[in-house]
Amino acid sequence: MANRLMNGNEPPPILTVDKLKTYFFTDEGTVKAVDGASFAVRPGKTVGIVGESGCGKSVSAMSILRIVDDPGRIVAGEILFQRADDAEPVDLAKLDAEGNEIRAIRGGEIALVFQEPMTSFSPHYTIGNQIVETIQLHQDVGKAEARNRTIELLRMVGIPRPERRIDEYPFELSGGLRQRVMIAMALSCNPKILIADEPTTALDVTTQAQILDLLREIQERTQMSVIIITHDMGVIAEMADDVIVMYLGRVVESGPVDEIFHQPKHPYTQALLRSIPSIFAEPRTKLPTIAGSIPHPHNRPAGCPFHPRCAEFMPGKCDRHEPQLRPVSASQLASCFLYHEPDI
Amino acid sequence: MPIEAPLLEVRNLKRFFPIRRGLLRRVVGQLRAVDDISFHINRGETLSLVGESGCGKTTTARCILRALKPTAGEVLFQTAAGDVIDTAALPKGALQPFRHQMQMIFQDPFSSLNPRMTVFDIIAEPLLANGVKSRDQRRQRVEELLELVRLRPEFMQRFPHAFSGGQRQRIGIARALALNPSLIVADEPVSALDVSVQAQILNLMLDLQDELGLTYLFVAHDLSVVKHISDRVAVMYVGKIVEIAETDRLFKAPKHPYTEALLSAVPKPDPRLRSERIVLAGEVADPAQPPTGCYFHPRCAHAIDRCRSETPKLEEIQPGHVVACHRAREITLKGVDAQSNGKPSA
Repeated sequence: MANRLMNGNEPPPILTVDKLKTYFFTDEGTVKAVDGASFAVRPGKTVGIVGESGCGKSVSAMSILRIVDDPGRIVAGEILFQRADDAEPVDLAKLDAEGNEIRAIRGGEIALVFQEPMTSFSPHYTIGNQIVETIQLHQDVGKAEARNRTIELLRMVGIPRPERRIDEYPFELSGGLRQRVMIAMALSCNPKILIADEPTTALDVTTQAQILDLLREIQERTQMSVIIITHDMGVIAEMADDVIVMYLGRVVESGPVDEIFHQPKHPYTQALLRSIPSIFAEPRTKLPTIAGSIPHPHNRPAGCPFHPRCAEFMPGKCDRHEPQLRPVSASQLASCFLYHEPDI
Repeated sequence: MPIEAPLLEVRNLKRFFPIRRGLLRRVVGQLRAVDDISFHINRGETLSLVGESGCGKTTTARCILRALKPTAGEVLFQTAAGDVIDTAALPKGALQPFRHQMQMIFQDPFSSLNPRMTVFDIIAEPLLANGVKSRDQRRQRVEELLELVRLRPEFMQRFPHAFSGGQRQRIGIARALALNPSLIVADEPVSALDVSVQAQILNLMLDLQDELGLTYLFVAHDLSVVKHISDRVAVMYVGKIVEIAETDRLFKAPKHPYTEALLSAVPKPDPRLRSERIVLAGEVADPAQPPTGCYFHPRCAHAIDRCRSETPKLEEIQPGHVVACHRAREITLKGVDAQSNGKPSA
């Protein structure tokens, strides 16, 4: 599926997620947080995963790192990760979540930056201690060497006077600085993929601009792949090469960023783009809206999950059959019966 | 511009918080959360207060509602009877008869509604508190209010957990409208909502304003949202207002370098507009130890010696456009312009 996004002479993707299903088995019923998501991450490129609450964007990222907590688990699908250039890809979905292999990958080859930089650090240790620990966990270096590398990393992410800051506790830093430290920690083992889950949502807009610039600059220098997860279409437009639009656990559309913004194919993508408040709007104009709200995960609609809110709803089709993610142009995939007939 | 007196006029409002240290909790300094600001809101219009966290926008809103007692300054509110009262000076008891004329919409629709109360009880509580004794009358009013915010009156016996974020925000709005207020203070009313629901609530607020002639003070950090709802916008930085102008003017032709940087920093929802953004160096100044002169000068690309020593005053440089910048008349700044499809205009 996802392979169709590539041209013939492009290198193979570093990460391929294929029909991933991550369900949560609660007392009230099964929540299909991710329900058959497929996408690919190209080396050195940025993939933006965008969607509203409950669309499964964060659970997708947690599934890749195998940090989905009980009662959730991956029930189907593959997550193929190319560890070294020559080797066969590893299926992360099949690994033991507590085994040595995933622990080497998690935080080492695939690193994560969280949304809330205050709660994702331990308040009891200095930031230096926490980064040194990460380095020593994944690489065979002494304490002094790890400390020097930490200072270098802090300098690289633009922390003033890193020799002093290294011995400070997280609460002594501002939100923007904490997020820089978080990024420094994620970069400490030269990851191949950096997953950034709403990295700027908790930050002010001028600080957000600084952090987005920093991420771009580091990517240019290190050529790592970035998966950026956000609900903010503006951040996607600024950062992503490829875009994955998710709704209720499904990928409804994917493609290059320019096509997604200028020729969106799925009615949800189209409606979402129309409904976001824009800084270019005329003052005091009404916005087109999407009717209704996101259904509760226990009351997931049958057929296409978007059909109760969709302007193009076709009775008998969209509410009975599940659309598949299929090519709709040379570079885009969409999951909608406007573009293919149900398989009966 | 209407000649009648504004509904609300804030004059030289200050709110400081003491910083206490040591065993004796001695006051060692003052955090200047709101530092001498003045503005007005005309009847029927929306003024937005924008700025980054810690700039004092919420403190300002709370001082206006007298949820906080201002340290100094006047908050002149025109009551329904046409009198002008100073809510900053009146004793709390004397304020009581006027409180229902100013109401608040909160940010988080999950924590601002009591989970143990039904929708009916939530919306009827202000009615009960203001002497509507008959249950039938209350029921009738709650029905009206639910219809006003486009919710089905049948839902009134349900509890908040049965509603989505957008529906809960509608309930919060219905509660705020229960006593026919003239001024609504909305503190980040859509920032906790999903993007597809934000538009519904913004449209509802615009409709209600037209139907009921409401006046809004809209506190927000998201400039895209602000653009959709405001007649005029006031930009705050470290406790001070740096610029006020009509929405279109402020976005197209900002006169304060901080406004320019804020506009530039907003991620534009179009990949073709990835342009050179103005990325401010450094961080927002500490309101407990603000810099000398203009608070923005350490981060300002246009700062000169005068900015380091002398605090700029708000000055009207065009009718209705006030700026606190020594260099407002000489520097050219970039805004955003709908006509040029978002390309920065001079």
